[in-house]
Amino acid sequence: MGQLDGRIACVTGGTRGIGRATAEAFLREGAKVVVTGRSSEKGQRALDEIDAGDNVHFISGDVKRREDCEALIQGTVDKYGRIDILFANAGGVNNSSFAPVAEMSDEGMEDTLTWNFWHTFWTMRAALNHMIPQQHGRIIATSSVEGKVGKPGNSSYVVAKHAINGLVKAAAHEVGTLGITVNSVCPGLIETDIVKENGPDYAESMGMTYEELLDWFGKESAIQRINEVEDVAEVCVLLASDVAAGITGSLLSIDGGTSPY
Amino acid sequence: MGKLDGKVAAITGGTRSIGRGMAEAFIAEGAKVIVNGRNEEKGRICIEEINAGDSVTFYKGDATKQADVEGIVDFAISTYGKLDIMCLNSGGLANTAPVAQMTDEEWELEMDWNLNHVFWGMRKSFQHMIPRESGRVIVTSSVEGKLGKAGTPGYNATKHGVNGLVKGAAKEVGPIGITVNALLPGIIETDIVRSTGPESAVAMGVGTYENLIGMFTEESAIKRPNTVEEVAAVALLLASDAGKNMTGMLFPIDGGTMPY
Repeated sequence: MGQLDGRIACVTGGTRGIGRATAEAFLREGAKVVVTGRSSEKGQRALDEIDAGDNVHFISGDVKRREDCEALIQGTVDKYGRIDILFANAGGVNNSSFAPVAEMSDEGMEDTLTWNFWHTFWTMRAALNHMIPQQHGRIIATSSVEGKVGKPGNSSYVVAKHAINGLVKAAAHEVGTLGITVNSVCPGLIETDIVKENGPDYAESMGMTYEELLDWFGKESAIQRINEVEDVAEVCVLLASDVAAGITGSLLSIDGGTSPY
Repeated sequence: MGKLDGKVAAITGGTRSIGRGMAEAFIAEGAKVIVNGRNEEKGRICIEEINAGDSVTFYKGDATKQADVEGIVDFAISTYGKLDIMCLNSGGLANTAPVAQMTDEEWELEMDWNLNHVFWGMRKSFQHMIPRESGRVIVTSSVEGKLGKAGTPGYNATKHGVNGLVKGAAKEVGPIGITVNALLPGIIETDIVRSTGPESAVAMGVGTYENLIGMFTEESAIKRPNTVEEVAAVALLLASDAGKNMTGMLFPIDGGTMPY
């Protein structure tokens, strides 16, 4: 018997990294899961690798577009009949957004905000419109240790992840008596594919090598190493489960003891 | 196969309420558990009710006494051979009052019960866990470890204190396989809250027990108290292998009460 038997989940950015690990953990606990991503090819590969038959489904969409975000939620309901769990997890920073504030472009700021914050808002709003009538739901947003503290040269990401944490706190109070919880996970640095792709550019903009960048994050933690996708997945299972009905508005640090609060 | 197969846990204040919930959750996942309490009779009843044979043992001891707290670690080692998970969960208050009327005796009781007990138990556990490069310390703090209610100065101070202890200690042992975390529950209608609640309500200026519970739940998003099961589920995650990279956390289980 799984902790999520019969539950329907949608995981944005679910083909790789944290989203993929969490989708697999949800499946293991008995949920049916929609994973989303931009690339149909990566989506198909993820489905092949996950190999969970009709319990997992891929919907392609670009989370930087509102209509795509809304279609991901509607697509989940169309496929499996409802949505119990939204893991708004897609996000990141493009290389053009790594700059000190004094040199930051409008486009750089806007791109990161759209990818991380607007996507979370659009999917959350659409999901709540299904969850409020059914008086049950679990919303989990991927924030970051940068949702609580700030790193230089990465202001757009820090801003977007702080905004997600603010949205989570407000929404939690709106729906707290309706059987719906809203929380964020705030991971430390994890060496996901996206970090491997964009990390070297961020490192360069900070005047260090990629290895030094990983080291920089690891050194700030208590565990003196970076986190793993499975760490986040396990917390998401707990938050998504029935027993977590009393945990809401929480910004859970999964950062090996980095964040001061 | 359980998440805690082969693990040994000790829980202060383990015979009832949150501690008892942790004990049952841990045993269900394969752990052997020492439950601690002051009262032999309550201990006997607890062991009978849990009904888990050799997997659970009662240790009589007063969490406000250093020798009793440290003795739990030795007892776990002599009973089950080691200690993997230490839950420093006991705590509370007796006759709270606003600062101006707070007695030294009450202040000292709360310091010993809520803060010193955690330090004593953590230090002794670390001395066993550090050479083994493995361990979990889980401290029951409170929303009052981040906020402050009028009329409970000792509780506010001690729970803030344990949160600080947890954060620093997590860094000391982080690289060697030991995690240290705090659970921050909102109000839960435990036996101890039911017994001390009516007097605390007067000291806190809200009159009745119902008003006391209401004062807490009104601040939450869920508008109800939390439950023992919610806290036990988080403790289980932190105690399991899946929690190996989670440390220094002040984990809120408060229905959205805490602002940060």
